Amino acid sequence: MKKNKSVLLSVPYMLWMLAFTLIPLCVVGYYALTDPVTKNFSLGNLQDLSMYLPVLGQSVGYALISALICLLLGYPVAYYIAHRGPVAQKMLYMLVMLPMCMSFLLRTLAWVGLLQDTGIINNILDAVGIGRLQLIRTPGAVILGMVYNYLPYMILPLYTTLVKMDDRLIEAAEDLGCNSLQTFGRVILPLSVPGILSGITMVFVPAVSTFYISQKLGGTDTVLIGDQIEDWFKQGDNPNLGAALSLVLMLLVFVCTGIMNRFGGDEEGGVIV
Amino acid sequence: MKRANRILTILMFIFLYIPMVVLIVASFNTGKDITQFEGFTLRQYGELFRDQDLLGLLGNSILIALLSTAISVTFGTLAAVGIHRLKPKMRKLVMSMTNIPMTNPDIVTGVSLSLLFVFVGTGLLGNRESLNFWTLLIAHVTFGLPYVILNVMPKLQQMNPALTDAAMDLGCTPVKAFFKVILHEISPGIVAGGIMAFTMSLDDFVISYFVTGSDFVTLPVEIYTYTKKPIQPKVYAMFTLLFLLIAVLMVGMNLLQIRAGRKKDSKRPISKPWQIARRCIAVAVALALVVGGGFLFFGNRQEKIILNVKNWGMNMADGTDDTLDIIAAFEEKYPNIKVNMSYYESNEALYSQLKNGGITVDVIIPSDYMIHRMIEEGMLLKLNFDNIPNFQYVDEEPFKNNNSYDPTNEYSVPYTWGTVGILYNSKYVDEADVTGWELMWNEKYAGKILMIDNSRDAMGIAQYLLGYDVNTPDKAELQACADKLAEQRPLVQQYVMDQIYSTMENEEAWIAAYYAGDCMLMMENNPDLRFYLPEHQGFNRFTDAMCIPTCSQEKEAAELFINFMCDPEISGANMDYICYASPISEAKNHMEEYLAESDIIYPDSKILEKGTAYKYLGGDTARYVESLYQAATKTADNQEAGGSLVIPIAMLVVLVGAGGGLWILKRKKRKR
Amino acid sequence: MSKELIRLRDLTMEFDGERILDGINLYINDHEFLTLLGPSGCGKTTTLRIIGGFLTPTSGTVTFDGECINDVPPYQRQINTVFQRYALFPHLNVFDNIAFGLRVAKLPKDEINQRVQEMLEIVSLKGYGHRQIQSLSGGQQQRVAIARALVNRPKVLLLDEPLGALDLRLRKDMQIELKRIQQAMGITFVYVTHDQEEALSMSDTVVVMDKGRIQQIGKPEDIYNEPKNAFVADFIGESNILDGVMLEDYKVRFFGRTFQCVDKGFEPNESVDVVIRPEDIDIVAPDQGHLVGTVTSVTFKGLNYDIIVEFKGFKWLIQTTDHCAEGSTIGIRLNPEDIHIMKKSEYSGMFGDYSSYSAEYDELTEDAGDEEE
Repeated sequence: MKKNKSVLLSVPYMLWMLAFTLIPLCVVGYYALTDPVTKNFSLGNLQDLSMYLPVLGQSVGYALISALICLLLGYPVAYYIAHRGPVAQKMLYMLVMLPMCMSFLLRTLAWVGLLQDTGIINNILDAVGIGRLQLIRTPGAVILGMVYNYLPYMILPLYTTLVKMDDRLIEAAEDLGCNSLQTFGRVILPLSVPGILSGITMVFVPAVSTFYISQKLGGTDTVLIGDQIEDWFKQGDNPNLGAALSLVLMLLVFVCTGIMNRFGGDEEGGVIV
Repeated sequence: MKRANRILTILMFIFLYIPMVVLIVASFNTGKDITQFEGFTLRQYGELFRDQDLLGLLGNSILIALLSTAISVTFGTLAAVGIHRLKPKMRKLVMSMTNIPMTNPDIVTGVSLSLLFVFVGTGLLGNRESLNFWTLLIAHVTFGLPYVILNVMPKLQQMNPALTDAAMDLGCTPVKAFFKVILHEISPGIVAGGIMAFTMSLDDFVISYFVTGSDFVTLPVEIYTYTKKPIQPKVYAMFTLLFLLIAVLMVGMNLLQIRAGRKKDSKRPISKPWQIARRCIAVAVALALVVGGGFLFFGNRQEKIILNVKNWGMNMADGTDDTLDIIAAFEEKYPNIKVNMSYYESNEALYSQLKNGGITVDVIIPSDYMIHRMIEEGMLLKLNFDNIPNFQYVDEEPFKNNNSYDPTNEYSVPYTWGTVGILYNSKYVDEADVTGWELMWNEKYAGKILMIDNSRDAMGIAQYLLGYDVNTPDKAELQACADKLAEQRPLVQQYVMDQIYSTMENEEAWIAAYYAGDCMLMMENNPDLRFYLPEHQGFNRFTDAMCIPTCSQEKEAAELFINFMCDPEISGANMDYICYASPISEAKNHMEEYLAESDIIYPDSKILEKGTAYKYLGGDTARYVESLYQAATKTADNQEAGGSLVIPIAMLVVLVGAGGGLWILKRKKRKR
Repeated sequence: MSKELIRLRDLTMEFDGERILDGINLYINDHEFLTLLGPSGCGKTTTLRIIGGFLTPTSGTVTFDGECINDVPPYQRQINTVFQRYALFPHLNVFDNIAFGLRVAKLPKDEINQRVQEMLEIVSLKGYGHRQIQSLSGGQQQRVAIARALVNRPKVLLLDEPLGALDLRLRKDMQIELKRIQQAMGITFVYVTHDQEEALSMSDTVVVMDKGRIQQIGKPEDIYNEPKNAFVADFIGESNILDGVMLEDYKVRFFGRTFQCVDKGFEPNESVDVVIRPEDIDIVAPDQGHLVGTVTSVTFKGLNYDIIVEFKGFKWLIQTTDHCAEGSTIGIRLNPEDIHIMKKSEYSGMFGDYSSYSAEYDELTEDAGDEEE
């Protein structure tokens, strides 16, 4: 077989990825290590970063909480879908996918309309006599926004893992004397670990870097790292500091996903729908 | 257990779909606010189909999604075949490279690509317009490719390798074997990858937001950037239609799949007509793609001069509410020029966009101090006043003489002027509390205060309150102002610019500092709103003027445009819409009377004397102010740690630790 | 016989430094049914793939009709292949699968139609043309694969374990069928299998391979009756292989006794391997036997009993139709024509000892073959 020839097909792709993923990251590094005014090498941007530690911590915290809530909500749903008939499965799967295809901005704006002080929920609460509550501009609202937007990213990989699981394994566990709780804990849960990890990654990464949800649903104290990056690029005229923040965010994400992949074994690319 | 699961699933679907329902209901609402349903109407749909701009943006989004998907699919499929044949070690390396855009946060991908394009395009190649349609396309292909590869690779691995051998054995060349056999085997992967790439591209705004230039903007980016207008209900109508379209497509595809599945089970062959129909559909889709794409892309690019105007949001009459559509009037007068409008939120944002480079802009309308800065930094072109005869109508005082920003009148032509004051809702705010800028710090209204979101205006308000000079470079005074802003932060509902419209009008917030003209507009929509100018403490009096940045490529057309805007009749008609004051006194004659006489728009000259203009204080001070402002309003309280090396060291430790950990783990695995 | 069609000269093949084929020399005649037989990993499939053009040998040449075809790609060779597990195109139906090669060659429609119908008849699948591949049974798929290859009228048909996935009964039927087709079409078959019975019953020539080398080439009877070394003896049928010394022509000594045999041409007193087929051994009363041993196990096999008999610490397999009780003492007789003498080889001492014999022996060897490549 003329192996070498078809291998050549991958070369343009490799060049493309080199040019548009690896080199840009180097450019980010270059900007992060350059002074915004003098354009000389400088560690100043990295030093300034310590100011952003609390923001970074807050971002990670919100993203982790959202990922865990997504897991708790998404697992039973994925399990339920995975145990329907084939037609119902396809339809439910589609229903989960559908919101992902619609504008993320508008759907978040709809939550603003729902949650704000003069919003739909508060209007209803007011009408039934409970009175208005502070819903929007709270950490809870930001987390809700994250959970809402990224829940499908949790359900889909969980579903793919659960649906592939051999039903005979469950029967075997029951045969060997497990009650349903033990079956779940000893067989189903351990086998769905790859899906769980992939789901957590897929929720965590966009959540930790989001810059719209917190602007719309958060208050003045729920600023996230993504907002800061956007600010420095689009408003503050300091792309160098923005680049340094991006670098930190990237490192954070790569370390997190690296750890996840270690736990999850060497699955190439994780679970893709 | 099972029942609990079912209930949870139902609840989850309600949760997922409630916002969609809200948006769909809003599309049939006669009112503008999505929180109040005032009556049923289909008007928004009619307006949607009349709005060429909105449809054009949607067309742009679809075009870029189609093109990037087509490229990713062809390129990605071929690459996947190549990668599949690589040696395992090399394959692993390539696949981990493929995973980078998948795991990297969107914002980092967007930032890195935008920096690359500007760095290479502007920095190395000297191309002013380095962010454009092509960079957007490259970015979309870059994040679409991994979806294709990751979906095609498993199919290639599952495929019986003997099939290729069999095809070659039966006389196919390798290329023919690919088309006749391999393609069929991996087509489910290609389709799945293509659909994912398409939807991701269609809905992407984070990456597009960073790499888009001014010549080609997609719908999500536009929705994000022009937030000054409270979102028009026709956008909801568009959302509803898209939702229905996608829902129908998805259900249809699912039904087809289910039917195809049944067919296979029933061991009946796929009927000939159906096969032919399928082929026809494929050909039709491909044709539509090419023709539609070509039409959309090249149809927009006739032999016209494209004039890129970058303006504040809602800062030019656009024909709504019985005003003159100025752009249309201009294009009618100069049929060979097409105006392409884009928007910015603040002087600082405009400066940042121009400074970062990569875009072409022909006309900008910054404020005084920013004009000064741009002149000093050589970012503006000198105007040729032979092309701007209407400059004669501009008032001598204080524009032609004694202006602080362009003393020689070489770079700018005034557009509007106005003041910054406080807008408050008399329904909730006690008149007794309206005593000065301290209203913005009144704890009684905690959570109901909107603070202006740009460093200069925000610092200025603190300076007026504290009685400092707004043009001081004194670091101690500036620090004191920043502390004042930090003190205000817990009381502030949000730091906003353009969002102020919807928030104040629907009474979500009660107090805001903003520009008089905009306040006037909001007062028309909500009669409880009042405007207050703290004259005893001082306030900002600003001038916005039209300039041509150095990146302009159509200077003459830009001057024509500036001249057109200085026509008193046009200026007056424009003010009717934006409610600012015109620097052309004659324009008053063409304005509606109540506006020309309004003391909000044209305050008494004695009051005006109390106002001060912001001056440019030098780049160092500007940057210092910016960082103080960011620290006071955005980052957490810990401001002292400035000089430490904690983060670089921590980063290094994390890197080394992670690398070492992985290495040890790998070694352990190998030993096992 | 007929003329030579394919010749392999000094073929070697290496993958990542590992030698898969080591100096293969072989010629294949026109109209011949030649079988490459060997355990998994012996290089038989690699040899076949080199003939098919899917692999290029590291060194050595392949000639076809006198011309070197090393660099001719598979799609230009007048050779077709029936693949392991068939490799039928799942997106095409039976007719389209068979017509595939003809369509690639751009034959006129009528001719394609006619040839495919003809082929369907030959493989007894008339009327199955519109069926989807997935709806066919294994045997039917097998026939489609054969038809797909033969419809192109190749000069040589390569078959790579074509019957490996079929059950025993179907396999027997297909063996007869294949032989019939080969004779009817009059073309050369190169057949790869690890099943010695299949090889012996179908082939004109059997090539026994192991460790990338040809161990023996010959007619089935010759291979069975005159194995060249212990490997061949063991791989083709069951054998008891003993150490012996050739005293002189027609006289061999083992187990402390001298036996008459029919072999000659060895050095005096040369050490040799002695092969005794289990079915050739006659059981007699202990006092009449050349050797006397104890029965240690008896397994009923249907046609016969496999019994293991211990002679002086060495266990023999004997196949007999007479029942012997476990633990009984029996005698055996060996006729001169039952004793085959082989030269010592690298395989000496590795085979032919039934000390660890178990009834699963057969199954074990059969399973191993499937995993090749």
